Amino acid sequence: MATTRSRREFLWTAASTLAVCTAPRVAAAPSELTAAELTGRVREKVGVAWRTPSVDGFKAGRAEALVTGIATAVLPTVDVLRRAAAAGHNLLITQEPTFYTSAEDGGAAASDPVYAAKKALIDERHLVIWRFSDHWNARRPNESVAALANALGWSAYRLADADGLYRIPEVRLDTLLQHVRTRLRVRGGLRWLGVPDMPVRTVVLSPGTTDLPSTVSRLPHADAIIAGEPREWEAVPYVLDTRPRKALVSLGRVVSLEPGAAACAAWVRSFTPEVPVDSLTTGDPYWSPLS
Amino acid sequence: MTAKDVVTRIQQRLAESGIAWRAQTVDTFKAGRPETTVRGIATTGMATLDTLRRASAAGRNFVITHEPTFYNHQDQTAALEQDTTYQAKLRFIQDHRLVIFRLHDHAHMLRPDPLVVGSARVLGLTPYASASERNVYVVPETRLRALASDIARRTGGRQIRVCGDPDMKLTRIALGPGYGVPPLTQAVDVSIGGEAPESGGQAEYALDAQALGRARAVILLGHMMSEDWGMHEVAEWLRGFVTGVPIEWIPAGEPFGAPRG
Repeated sequence: MATTRSRREFLWTAASTLAVCTAPRVAAAPSELTAAELTGRVREKVGVAWRTPSVDGFKAGRAEALVTGIATAVLPTVDVLRRAAAAGHNLLITQEPTFYTSAEDGGAAASDPVYAAKKALIDERHLVIWRFSDHWNARRPNESVAALANALGWSAYRLADADGLYRIPEVRLDTLLQHVRTRLRVRGGLRWLGVPDMPVRTVVLSPGTTDLPSTVSRLPHADAIIAGEPREWEAVPYVLDTRPRKALVSLGRVVSLEPGAAACAAWVRSFTPEVPVDSLTTGDPYWSPLS
Repeated sequence: MTAKDVVTRIQQRLAESGIAWRAQTVDTFKAGRPETTVRGIATTGMATLDTLRRASAAGRNFVITHEPTFYNHQDQTAALEQDTTYQAKLRFIQDHRLVIFRLHDHAHMLRPDPLVVGSARVLGLTPYASASERNVYVVPETRLRALASDIARRTGGRQIRVCGDPDMKLTRIALGPGYGVPPLTQAVDVSIGGEAPESGGQAEYALDAQALGRARAVILLGHMMSEDWGMHEVAEWLRGFVTGVPIEWIPAGEPFGAPRG
């Protein structure tokens, strides 16, 4: 962004983007589908044995509530919850916790007015929140990887029998960064390692948590890794130490997973004719004072 | 004086400060022979290959690093044995007869924590330290945009990330080292740290607080931009009781490229 003003405007634009994936619908009679029935259907269709224990399940609201509409999201922020309610979607299917910890107990924020206000918002708008992360991410091939590739225009380049490897038309790293920045609308969260003019041909896509074992096993077969959330004492210094240098492009967790959440909406829609199913995005949570 | 002797002196100094050496700790030798005679000591935020090259070229054959050498907290290498990046790093260490020791857990136990002291110093926060609250700084009222720009200028960090309204006013800053940022309580406007998860960290809380009209922000410096300077403090500390060998801070530096690559 040229100026801080335009960056700020961009922030608000990005925050209010509603990824509507369905054609406008004519208001239908209220569905008789409950949240419990819908999530039961998801469990049936997911094709992965249900795990116990799992972080997946209801986190807020009543399972018996009638579903008026469904919104998928990576991060169920207050803004996402408000937009879902405004669109008439009372069931949220989310990848990440609502109350800041996987225990959903608020952690250090539990006695805080922000935590209380978020809980009150959910109650007042009669929202139901169901977390669907472990099982969505257990599908093979990985939905988040395929959706990220699709968002980058690379679906046709997937290497068969390889986990998250794509052979793209050769491109310089700086050109690749521009492509990623534009396609995924990353703001301050985009960070990279490598040499700007290095050629990139084979890429590992690693949305979400980019851990060391999966990086060590796949990066030797690639020029670059497009990461979600790599730890800066794990995958980051590993890539930094490679000779000749390899590249790492870190997107941030939310940006890397949002295409997958949109794919999840499309998948749920395919077996849920009763109600509209949309995907809501938060976008990159970060801005940079330097860009 | 051997590397082992230096570590013994560190342990003695900690004991004199009431800090007993922990039975379970990542603070161990990571590579090289502890019996090696020390020609010079380098402290650093992270023993990257580049840091090791610079240490070796400067004649500092004993590297004291805050973060791991082999890409995981426990520096476990079994899964890396066949990896060429690991092999080349290990070979470099052996060829140049370097010795690497990690000083993480016990460095954070010192009071004040030198990793926070170093970070506060480079950020210009030291004069604003709260008298009563640890790692809290109360600055004259400013706006988030101004604070973030000032931090970027002072650290030379190329990939500082900010979550929060650029126009929010702030006075109370919590500063944490390395991974995770201090909790955004009602008494903290901005929490600053190295790196933090986007879920289960504080960023999503800051987004919610902002949406609810209670401005809060998070600034992530990057792990090295957070802790490298702390190892400068550790070098100073070592000079107080390890004499006879040069002790130099060799920063690992900002690993990430400029925002527009």
